[in-house]
This record gives sequence, C-alpha cells and structure tokens, in this order.
Amino acid sequence: MYWRKPLDQDKIKVPCGIIHIIEDRCKGCGFCVEFCPQGVLVMSKSTNSKGYHPPEINDSKHCVNCGLCSLLCPDFAIYIEDKGKRTPEKVETKGKAEEQS
Amino acid sequence: MSADKIPADSISHLSGYEPPDQSDWETGLHPMDSLLRGERLPHIWCQGCGLGTALTTFISALQWLEKNKEWDLEKVAVVSGIGCSGRVAGYIRLDSFHTTHGRAIPFATGLKIANPNLKVVVFSGDGDIAGIGGNHFIHAARRNLDITVICVNNFNYGMTGGQVGSTTPHGARAVTAQYGNFEYPFNLPYLAAAGGASFMARWTVLHARRLEWTLREAMEHRGFSFVEIIAPCSTAYARWNPEGKGLDPEKLRRRGLEVIKHYKEIGKISPETHPKDADVKVDENGVIIEIVEGKFIDDPKPDLQEAIDQMAPIAEKKWKAAKRAIDNRPKVKGRTDKVPRKELQLGGFGGQGIISAGKIIGQAAAIYDKLEACFTQSYGPEARGGAAGSQVVISSDLIHYPNITEPESAIIMSQGAYEKYAPLITEKGILLIDDGLVVLPENHRQDIVTYGIPATKAAEEMGNIRAANTVMLGFWTSIVGAVSKEAMKLSLADSVPPKTVDVNIKAFDYGYDRGTELKKTKAIPIPTPTEKTGTTHSGDKKSSINEP
Repeated sequence: MYWRKPLDQDKIKVPCGIIHIIEDRCKGCGFCVEFCPQGVLVMSKSTNSKGYHPPEINDSKHCVNCGLCSLLCPDFAIYIEDKGKRTPEKVETKGKAEEQS
Repeated sequence: MSADKIPADSISHLSGYEPPDQSDWETGLHPMDSLLRGERLPHIWCQGCGLGTALTTFISALQWLEKNKEWDLEKVAVVSGIGCSGRVAGYIRLDSFHTTHGRAIPFATGLKIANPNLKVVVFSGDGDIAGIGGNHFIHAARRNLDITVICVNNFNYGMTGGQVGSTTPHGARAVTAQYGNFEYPFNLPYLAAAGGASFMARWTVLHARRLEWTLREAMEHRGFSFVEIIAPCSTAYARWNPEGKGLDPEKLRRRGLEVIKHYKEIGKISPETHPKDADVKVDENGVIIEIVEGKFIDDPKPDLQEAIDQMAPIAEKKWKAAKRAIDNRPKVKGRTDKVPRKELQLGGFGGQGIISAGKIIGQAAAIYDKLEACFTQSYGPEARGGAAGSQVVISSDLIHYPNITEPESAIIMSQGAYEKYAPLITEKGILLIDDGLVVLPENHRQDIVTYGIPATKAAEEMGNIRAANTVMLGFWTSIVGAVSKEAMKLSLADSVPPKTVDVNIKAFDYGYDRGTELKKTKAIPIPTPTEKTGTTHSGDKKSSINEP
C-alpha cells in the first residue's frame, strides 16, 4: 500500500472509543454524521420512537475518540467512551476505509 | 400552614409546569445528564437548531472546569431571558433564573453584586441581549461587571416565528421582511468593544471545540466577558434564506445542517481582526458570505467588584464622619403640644434656595421638634430659572399622604411663583411674600392674609443676598408657628455652609422679629380692595399687611 513504512509506526498509539447512541433522544439533524472526521457514522434507514432517523455505526474501529459528535449533538443522544489506545495496523483514513470497503 | 406541610398533589402548578414523573426522558444515560433537568427534557428546540450544540459546549466547558480547575458548580448561576435560548435556564441543573425579556443582565447584575462569590453566566439570545436588552448589555460592559454573557445569535426572533431583529443582516429575508431587510444590523463584537468589554469572542456552533475552549476562558476571565455564538435557526431563518436551501424537499428536514455546512465554507478564523471589521458580511442578496471568528479582545482590567472594594474604605470613612456629626447633634426634647396637619408651599425662582428652605423646615420639624414631616420638590424644566417649588407637610401624627392638597401657608419669592401658587392657598390661609420681588396685582385675593417683608433687600444689606430665604424662614416661623424657633435655628446651622452660619442666624432673627412685630401691630392700615396693593409695596415701607 505504501512504498515506505513509517519508522515509528510501532510506537504510535491511536486513541479509540466506543460509540454510544441513545436512539430515542435523536432528532435526526445529521450533525454527527456530517462532521465525524473519520466517517464512522451513517444515517440509519430505520426510525426511532419519534419517527426520526438516528445515526448508525458504520465502522466503529475507525473511531479515534475525538468526541466531536458528542459535542455537536444538540440532543444529548450520542457520546463516546474512552477505550484506551491501540497500535494502528495500518494508516487509516476516511478515504482508505472507503476504498477498502 | 407552611408550604412543606401542604400535600404535593394539592399544589396547583402554574401552566407549563409538568410534574417530574410525566417526562419520558430517561436520565443518566449520557455523561452530561448530571447537569440536565431530565424532568424538563427533551428540549423544545427544533431539529438542527444550534442552541442544543451551544448548550452542549457550555456544559462541556463547565464539566472541564469542575474537573480541572476545581470549580464548585454549586456556585455557578445561569440567567436567561426570553426566547428559545431562555429555555437554557430551565434545562440546566444549576442555580438558574429565567427572567423577563431583555432583563437577563440586570438580574445577573443583582446576583453578582449581592453575592460576589457566584459565577454568573447569562445565556441568552440576540433579541434579548442586543435587541430589547441592548442598553443593559452596554452598561454591564461599561462597568466591567464580572459576568459571562453568552449570546446565541441566530439572526432573527426565532421563537415568535422568525421576525426581523437587530442582528438580521441587511438584505436577508425574514418573515416580516419578505423583500429583504432594509435595516443594517448590529456588529456585536464592535458593540461590546465600544462598551468596554474586557473579553470578547465569536464562534459558530460548528467550531464547537474552539467554542468550548473559549467558554472556559471566558468563564475564568475576571471582568465582563462576552461570547457570541452564531447558530442556525433551522425553522425560521433558514426557511427564508438561501443558506438553508429553502424549500428544497431533499433538504427540508436538514436545514440546520445545510446552514452549518454553509458556515463551514464561509467561516474565517481570524482573531487579529479589529472588532470594527467583524461584522457579518453579506452579498447583495443578503446571503452571508463571511463570518469572522475568533477571540477578538482579551484585555484584563479592574472589574466592578475591585472598584467597589477600592472605594469602600473611603466611603466608610466619609460615612463615619457623617454619622459622628449626626451623633453630636444637640439633644433636644422636641415639641410636646399637638400640631395639626399643616401644609406649606414654597415658591420662587431657581437659585433662591426654595428647595433648601423647605428642607430646613422639614428637618427642624422632624429632627429637632420630633414631629412628622414630609418634603417634596418640583423637578423639571420649570425649576430652572422659572418657578421652583417645594412643599412641606408637618404634623404631630403620622402623615399618610405626602403631597399637599390645601396649603394654609405659602412663602412666595417671585412673581411667577405668585401667579402659580397663590390661587392654591386655602381660604384664610397665610401668604408670605418677598416685598419687592412680588408685586400684588389689583385682583389680589382678599380671602387670604398677606404679609410682606423685603427679604432679598434685607439680606443684601446684611451682606449675603443668599440669606433671603432665611429671612423668609424666620418670618414664616414667627407668623405660622408650626415649628419652634430653636428647632429652626438648629436645623439652619446644620444646613448652611459653616462660614455663613452667623449671617444666616442674623437674617433669621431679623425675619422672626419682623414677623412678631407685624403680628402684634394690628394698627398697620389694611388696604381696601379698591386700593392699589401694588403701591403699598412699592414705597419705602419695610413691611405691609393685607387682611380681608
């Protein structure tokens, strides 16, 4: 994939988080999906009890625990739990993740 | 029966109040739930409204301060005004206060001054802060009051349906400006800067992270800190303006998101911008094309509390001196006889000491004669060179009505005041005039007793023309007798500058003796109604009497 492996790849640790979505609080504004820097979330096809489409986790392993979704969510419907740090297997970006899928 | 003994189900609540158990909000699921009043949630804000994000960042900043700066959130008070943003006070589980429209800052001012240990945050909207409460805003900034004002600016009056407000950009559409807003909006950073705010920042809700950092800084800042949060109004403003993609059915449910995406394109982080240039720029169609963001002012300076602390010892010293003077007053017994309600009207032109004469009488009655007294004065343009007036009510019983209704005596020192006040005197009342300044007309009232004394002339001869009112006071004391002579003299000595006490006492005695003399000498010719009263007073005679 890369012609050269970064020298400090083993030392780099990436934060990672567990995404919690409280579906019934969601009003489907789409802020979290739009502004997630890792593209972890997508809009769900199903609806919650109020008839809104809540977000859905597409690929949770890309979450880097930045907390932007929880900060942007106007309805207190999403938050991230710290899962510690992990060594990345490969350099993961939104673009690459899409390519692979 | 005290309130805590009333059974809970018998308390009738104001409309809009929902008992806690009726909400379907399950609390404790989110890390921020500890600072939310679950019984009032979910909130009423529309899908895609920026207020929720503003509240999230605010709570996040508070939690950070609690964790890292050891803030006691019990000491934080949130004050909101009216509008969508006014709901914040109801949703946040802190000491909060939902106030009247535009008055969030005055309430916060009271809170802060009464309890300087509180951290007071005003969380309100643009209509509240810049519209109806604009004046309070600039004055709080001027005082550098140590509060944080968060203004969520959504460019219109959202809760009432999207009317034009004081921040609606020029040319933008609103429900009451269908062809574009004619007016020019406020530039809030510049307004705050001009008012003297020592901290000022602006972010859109998109920049939630930076907004949170700024809120932390603003709340820690000592002095007036102002944070403007640009938020989308997904239902009202975004419906009429191209930023929200209007009625495009694809975007219909995502107008707030479309607006935020627009902010992402046009937002320009530039903290070095002068607040003057920080206005929201629009093109000819009223579409917002640039929002400058950043922390524009961070300029610590002494806040109001510091100034109060600095001035307090000086004020205390002065107050103690005044208190000492009061304590050193001669102890007097006061009058023991009954004085029925007596009303006095004083009139003249500004500068004659009409107001101070009234005050001296009131003081003499209240402090030295131990009677009840009320003193009122006429303010207004007529008191500047025209007819100045003051009124005194004296009685040994409680005075229930402070104004005069039927003055039985009047001290008149100018022609203008004569014309204004002479008709008000009751029948058989006593009119005291400054002979020489007031010329009685032909149709002078014959049902009142008129005494005259050349007060101004006499005072001038004594060496201080400003003692003319004192002459009149002495004259009044002897003729009307509502207040004792001793009390008047003591009160006079309290009220005039120390250097002029002697001349004033002399003037008082002169007036008093004159009055006693006049009262005794019934021999002075009584002018008949046909006789020209004017001639009586224009001659060399020092005094005159006119009785019915």
